[in-house]
Amino acid sequence: MENSIEVSDLHKSFGKKTAIKDVSFHVEKGEIFGLLGPSGSGKTTTIKILTGELTQTHGKVTALGTDASRFSTADYKSKIGILSDNSSLYERLSIYDNLKLFCKLYNVPLKQIDVMLQEVNLHEERQTTVSKLSKGMKQRVMLAKALIHKPELVFLDEPTSALDPGNMAHIHRSLQKLNEAGTTIFLTTHNMEEATALCDRVAFLHKGELQELDCPSALRYKYSTHAFHVETVQGDRLVIENVPENANRMKELIGNGHVKSIHTDHPTLGQVFLKVTGEELVS
Amino acid sequence: MNVQRIHAIFEKDIKDFMKNMMLITMPFIPIVLSLMYTRFSDGGVLPISMLYIIVGATYSAVTSSIMMTMMAEENEKKTLRGLVQSPASYVDILVGKSLVVALVSFTSLLISLLIVGIDPFLNLKDVIALLLLFIFFLLLGIGIGLFSKSVASTSAYIMPVMFLFGFTPMIEALGIGKESAVSQVANVFPLMQAIHVHENNSWVSLGIIALWSIGAAVFAYICFKKTTTDD
Ligand SMILES: Nc1ncnc2c1ncn2[C@@H]1O[C@H](COP(=O)(O)OP(=O)(O)OP(=O)(O)O)[C@@H](O)[C@H]1O
Ligand SMILES: [Mg+2]
Repeated sequence: MENSIEVSDLHKSFGKKTAIKDVSFHVEKGEIFGLLGPSGSGKTTTIKILTGELTQTHGKVTALGTDASRFSTADYKSKIGILSDNSSLYERLSIYDNLKLFCKLYNVPLKQIDVMLQEVNLHEERQTTVSKLSKGMKQRVMLAKALIHKPELVFLDEPTSALDPGNMAHIHRSLQKLNEAGTTIFLTTHNMEEATALCDRVAFLHKGELQELDCPSALRYKYSTHAFHVETVQGDRLVIENVPENANRMKELIGNGHVKSIHTDHPTLGQVFLKVTGEELVS
Repeated sequence: MNVQRIHAIFEKDIKDFMKNMMLITMPFIPIVLSLMYTRFSDGGVLPISMLYIIVGATYSAVTSSIMMTMMAEENEKKTLRGLVQSPASYVDILVGKSLVVALVSFTSLLISLLIVGIDPFLNLKDVIALLLLFIFFLLLGIGIGLFSKSVASTSAYIMPVMFLFGFTPMIEALGIGKESAVSQVANVFPLMQAIHVHENNSWVSLGIIALWSIGAAVFAYICFKKTTTDD
């Protein structure tokens, strides 16, 4: 499988402060890859290195077969889309005029504006001046701007942080559609449900180090206690460890017809997050 | 250079300019100044230095100030980053913006000079001097705009640029002797050299203005490179 992004031994320091420590990973072409981690763990820094906004201290970074030293070329720029905390809009202009500018810069037909506005659920507001939009609306316009040229690879730094559940679901469908059409998506989020729903694979970053990288279901399995949660017909709830010594007990329970339900306990991605990053869940 | 991208940026900046109350009044400053000058001169001919002060006022209060404010705003609001991340090159970005500023500046300059009398400027070397001066003030505006990082802090630079570069001939009115060090230095400034071009038909003076423009270009280039990344 071809890789869209390849990062090896990536290291980034700001003066004495180390933000990324020897991180290596790759992102396959056509996948939705989520970079997760607590605030300050280095997610934005990683994205900025991949988009050429920051230069790595050392390590090798390539994306779409382009070396990091050539990230500022028009060729690379025309193939990627970016939504980050450095994204913004012209406040005095309408949504339409903002997108028109980028259509022309990317040499995309203007009819693409209406297509994108449908995708981000803003078609009705197309003539509204940006300064009059809410935060979530602006975020959706910036997303439309990032995707308007149907890039091969997009970087989305917390793309849905300001959205209500309805619009978030709408954007998720749009992103999935885009991905099905062939775009590789690299995103960061603090929303673990979003990561579970969207991402083919996720990586956990903690204090600049990569802790885990796998598909969400595999990570949930890995961090499972593997205990059986049994509910009996009498209404008792038992937690039975998945160890050989308990095999007979399980057999007995099932054989006696006492069992109403059995399920194994897989943590949510949020719980995996807390385990990986060593932060205690306060209940 | 890509004509389509330059046009896209020009179109966006013209629209943005028209909606910016702060910028749209600037082109009227030299026009009002010209009207005042002609009233005071009672129909008499204005001295050449006065005419060049009109030119300096236009280029400092219109060209430099508008460019400075536009660049500082793009930088402050991070919209510049969006342009830099697109396939547009920095030449496309700067040319697109400069065309807007050029259109506004030359309209304002033409009207002002028609009011005070355009005849003294109608010869090749004076026109070249006016164009070189424009480029100098434009690049100075780009550099300062990027350097000062926010619209609020550009206001600290607008006045010095106006008095140093826009109203340089006023130094005569301060009563400082022609031989003093200050006058000697002021004499090398671009607007003074433009007056020399007019009075002495001097190629050397044109060269000096060109040097000022090259200096401003280097300054603008360095400031622009710094804004393209977060490093
Ligand atoms: N320009 C900079 N100069 C100095 N330090 C920086 C700079 N940018 C980031 N850092 C530091 O690098 C570390 C990683 O920051 P980064 O923005 O990548 O975190 P993040 O994972 O995106 O966090 P969040 O979830 O809050 O967005 C932080 O400790 C931050 O203070
Ligand atoms: Mg971040």
